[in-house]
Amino acid sequence: MSHFFTFGVRNLGYARQQHVLFDSLCFSLQPGEMLCVHGANGTGKSTLLRILAGLTTPTNGHVERDPATSLHYVGHMNGLKLGLTVSENLRLIAQLAQTPLTVCSDVLVKIKLDVYHDKIVKTLSAGQKRRIALAKLLMIPRPIWILDEPLTALDKESQDFFLDQIQMHLQNKGVVIISTHQPLPLSSTSTLLLRRA
Amino acid sequence: MIKTIYFVFYTELILLLQRSQAWLYPLGFFAIVLVLFPLALTPDPVMLKKIMPGCLWIVTLLAQLLSVESTFTHELEDGSIEQLILSQIPFSLCIFAKLCAQWVASALPLILLTPLVGLSFQLDIHTIGILSLSLLIGTPLLTMLGSLIVALSIGLEKQGMLLGLLILPLTTPVLIFGVSIVQQAQAGISILGALCFLAGLSVLSITLLPWVIASSLKLSCDS
Repeated sequence: MSHFFTFGVRNLGYARQQHVLFDSLCFSLQPGEMLCVHGANGTGKSTLLRILAGLTTPTNGHVERDPATSLHYVGHMNGLKLGLTVSENLRLIAQLAQTPLTVCSDVLVKIKLDVYHDKIVKTLSAGQKRRIALAKLLMIPRPIWILDEPLTALDKESQDFFLDQIQMHLQNKGVVIISTHQPLPLSSTSTLLLRRA
Repeated sequence: MIKTIYFVFYTELILLLQRSQAWLYPLGFFAIVLVLFPLALTPDPVMLKKIMPGCLWIVTLLAQLLSVESTFTHELEDGSIEQLILSQIPFSLCIFAKLCAQWVASALPLILLTPLVGLSFQLDIHTIGILSLSLLIGTPLLTMLGSLIVALSIGLEKQGMLLGLLILPLTTPVLIFGVSIVQQAQAGISILGALCFLAGLSVLSITLLPWVIASSLKLSCDS
């Protein structure tokens, strides 16, 4: 994961039905850097992250990313199949990333869900679901992490655990883009504040 | 990659079997409506032999309508569709796997029930065989067309009735060829022409529509 790459946007703009959310946005991130997106509700944080992940097409400008560098995107919705068990969900995530399945059980221990591995996800709490959604960060090594308010619903202990993971990812020359409402105790952070136009 | 596609198919099938409205409702609807025909029209076996293949096809169309509406709602609600779009596997292949599971859950039980229904309406074994064959070849087309319309109309409120209005006219060729296969078999004419045409349509839809449905779903996520 130590290969060199840059990830950035040039002149990025997005308008929803004549209402401009942001315009002329430029930044670039080098390996080991992190961008923290702040802003009030409805200022376009999630939209920006979806554009960076490639899910939404921007109105102007473009995202510069080497197509060979893969990314993780964890959105507001966890993207889990609620009718499947925890381990089936992890297997599906691993299969879709074409990663060997052997890491699943280690990850379950790390996110403290090993006793729940055969429970249906629907029956778990919001924080537990969030932990499963974030588990793919540990399972599948990818250089770019795009996380939309990842710490919501997590308890203090899990928050610290995932912040440690983010710190480790940055030390391994990864890139993290995160939207959050709370200040993060992390070094090497740039901040982008979105305001209502 | 094949393993992944199979796993997506497997998980979708588990999820569909957990939701009774995906497979039990169409099956129940199919059985009950078919029983209504002899009650309303005539219990005369000669007459039934003539009309039942057509009735069976119409009921299959309507039963498929029942199951198709919720095809993508869960994926869109829980955000798993975004993860499929971003995965390393081509999205259209995931959709193909999902639609195969949809067909197995919603259409295959109807086809398996057809011999039983046919026997109870005193159709002969040959006709039952041909009828099941026509359903086997025609129903994938119904699943594909139905899912296409559902994917195109995502985001509209009160989809239910609209789906019927949009899907049923599109599926008339399936009905025409499906029924004519059985009628020709009953009349002792070669069924090959209609059968090949229906099979051709099916193959066309199976190969092309997953791509169209995938693009349409990507567009509806892009907002």
